[in-house]
Amino acid sequence: MSNPTPTPPPPTSSSSTTSFPFPREYSFPPFFTRQTNLTTHHAQLVKWAALVVAYCRHYRIFKLALSGTGTVATNTTTSITTTAGGDQQQQQRDTTELFHNRRINRRLSLADIREVIDFLRKDGRAEYVNGGGGDLVWIYWRTPEEWAALVEAWVEATGQRGSVMTLYELVEGDATLGEEFHGLDQDLLLKALNVLVKRGKAQIFGQEDSRGVKFF
Amino acid sequence: MFLKHIDLTTALRPSYLPDEDLLFVQDNVGLYEGKFKLPNHQNGQVYLTSHRICYVDKAEPRKHSVALDLKDVDRFEFYGGFLKSSAKITLIPKPTKRPALQPRSPGDPSRSSTSSPTQQLDGPLRISSVDPPLATAATWVCTICSFSNPLPSNFDPTTANAHTPLPPCLACGIKPTLTHLLKAAISNATSRQPSSPALQTPLPLRPKTLPGASSTDRSALEPPPLQKPQHLSPDPDASFQCPRCTFLNHPSLLSCEMCGAPLISHDLPAELTSQARAQTESPGPFLNSLGAAPPGFENLESIKLSFRGGGEKIFYERLKGSMTQRKWLLHGAPPIPKSSRPGDPTSSNGLTAGHGSGTSRERPKIGGIAGLEHRGQAMRKNNELMIGGAFEDLEALMASAKEIVALAEDFARQVKGASGGSSASENALLADSVSQLGLITTKDIVGSGGGGGGSDSLYLSELARTLAEFLTDDRRGVLRKAGGIISLVDLWAMFNRARGGVELVSPADFEKAARLWEKLGLPVRLRTFKSGVMVVQGRDRTDETTIKALLAWLRDLHEFPPEREVPWDWRMFGRGVTARDAAERFGWSIGVAEEELEMAEERGVLCREEGIEGLKFWENFIDTGEGKGYKDPAKQRDDLILQALQKSGFL
Repeated sequence: MSNPTPTPPPPTSSSSTTSFPFPREYSFPPFFTRQTNLTTHHAQLVKWAALVVAYCRHYRIFKLALSGTGTVATNTTTSITTTAGGDQQQQQRDTTELFHNRRINRRLSLADIREVIDFLRKDGRAEYVNGGGGDLVWIYWRTPEEWAALVEAWVEATGQRGSVMTLYELVEGDATLGEEFHGLDQDLLLKALNVLVKRGKAQIFGQEDSRGVKFF
Repeated sequence: MFLKHIDLTTALRPSYLPDEDLLFVQDNVGLYEGKFKLPNHQNGQVYLTSHRICYVDKAEPRKHSVALDLKDVDRFEFYGGFLKSSAKITLIPKPTKRPALQPRSPGDPSRSSTSSPTQQLDGPLRISSVDPPLATAATWVCTICSFSNPLPSNFDPTTANAHTPLPPCLACGIKPTLTHLLKAAISNATSRQPSSPALQTPLPLRPKTLPGASSTDRSALEPPPLQKPQHLSPDPDASFQCPRCTFLNHPSLLSCEMCGAPLISHDLPAELTSQARAQTESPGPFLNSLGAAPPGFENLESIKLSFRGGGEKIFYERLKGSMTQRKWLLHGAPPIPKSSRPGDPTSSNGLTAGHGSGTSRERPKIGGIAGLEHRGQAMRKNNELMIGGAFEDLEALMASAKEIVALAEDFARQVKGASGGSSASENALLADSVSQLGLITTKDIVGSGGGGGGSDSLYLSELARTLAEFLTDDRRGVLRKAGGIISLVDLWAMFNRARGGVELVSPADFEKAARLWEKLGLPVRLRTFKSGVMVVQGRDRTDETTIKALLAWLRDLHEFPPEREVPWDWRMFGRGVTARDAAERFGWSIGVAEEELEMAEERGVLCREEGIEGLKFWENFIDTGEGKGYKDPAKQRDDLILQALQKSGFL
């Protein structure tokens, strides 16, 4: 599935240290008010959705906290760069910035944020982490299917078919360094692998912390 | 031509002459010329004014609207209608030339005055038709020489005041007092139950003389009754019966040989007039033989108004009234003495217009401060006179209050008898006074003969037209001042205020009338915003023009820096505007501004921002067209499948 939004091209993980270039609308005050005109509202949703996805892609955010006060999705894995501490804190600040433009002192209300998320969900680009209306949301700047395809392609390319590896190895190991899915959230990886399992291309085994996967 | 093409106002009503008053409106009227229907003039509204009868065609008002001047009307007849033929009023034009008078006027200096403007009086004189005994002139007896003088025909006890010109005694030249005349008129009227037709309808006072004007001035303006022409025919055998002593006088005599009573006066005894009419008109072929012009040109063809929707009785009544009043004679008459002078800033205009007042003649002699002083003095004097006169009036009125009331009741009874029910005369009186107050459409003016609903709709359509005129009137500039748009409620208040608290329009009627604009093709329109607010605006002002204006304004804001520092890039986005800003900028009311902005938002031109500073509207940078390319993924898939199917020829 192609990226439906005409946002700036997705930055690669290497550029994640640079700050996110916000689109023009981000500094347009009415952008933070729910529009009443239906067409304008639709355009607004489209733009917000694109912004959220682009933003998460830029910083490789997999789980987004809506309340904005800082829980950042990447805290389950040790984050993009293996150094945990400072980087994580930087990201905390970043997510509030997404819905709150301090420069023009405008903020998107939580209800409106949820509307954007719902819009993304319809699109298959977001999902609440615990089903209902929780605070944490998966932002699928790549859907599990896409991740699965990436992993499968990598397995194919490196001739790993039939081999067994741990999940940790898959996303943090040196072998996948430079791959897109390197540093992928464990839960999201599981979702992606489950896609492969359904297709009969892989099998997952093991306990909570030490799961392995075998590719066929 | 008897019938003239007329100009219509923006509201498709006849544009009135100065001083012209609307008396009555009736719709569903057709015109006949002679016995034949006039093509294209079969369904329209008839406006009776104090000067004219105007026909405004319903289908093509600009093309087929005509009017005829009442001054050209010789007489009019009423036909009540029978079975399927509707009631008609026939208007018979005056012959354009009066051959009977021509041989006489030259060479005879006393008669030459008959060609003066007052000669026109004789047309309506012949209207006073049927009852000769009624018309015997009311008289007043001079207190000095006890000569019994005729009351001037334009003397109306109901409207007379200190400024009504009073004729001096014909014998001794002493002016009577107003009270005296009033009493005489009233006693005359009351002593004679069926009062004279001249009194049946209140006559307007004829402002003629200025206090400073000399007696010769007055005689020029208002020739003494004696100078009236009494013979309209050269028939030498005719003899005139003196209205007082019944002595048969020689026709060339101006006053009775026996008793000295004037044989012809302003209120020409109807017996004589009917005689005169008989003489001028009975020989139909006589006119024809003398008429050099073809009959068509002579306009002997009468015009008939066919009242298919009723209303003929009131029309007839009012027509009778205006024919008696002959307001067109007042046109160009000097203004009512001094009434507009005191404190009137335009008084200098009045002076330059040369109304021949005493002060204007004296003016050039005195200049500078002396002139100013003089004027102030004159003004004070005039005020004094007016106040004095007013009190005199009061006294006179009080003296004869009882009789006046009786007189009014008498009139009412008579008119009631004539029109068969309803307090029509009171209505007429009311309508008259109301129209004098500058009002145009009242429920009373429009025809009510059609019964129930029909007349109501006529009232509404007239009201709609009045409103449209009120709105588009350049002098008032109601719409212009309100930025081309005004809420219906504001307009309603303004309109009723303009009416001065008389004959107010109910909100329901007002709204109904406003809804008629569209149907009547008037240049204003009623618009309902989505919130239900109703506004009035010019027809040419559409949403598109409003949006264009709004956008141009917002684009300007990209150029001019905002008053205080703003965190966003104002060169790119401009700034948000509140309804208040828009109201100030375009001269709208706040409510209207809100609605207009929301309308523009609805169209996707603007977008909103709700913040601590309230609701602001911005140029729409959210929906800049990129969103349009966006498609629902599911739909996209369907489209792809459809395309594939089409390619493979399944569809």
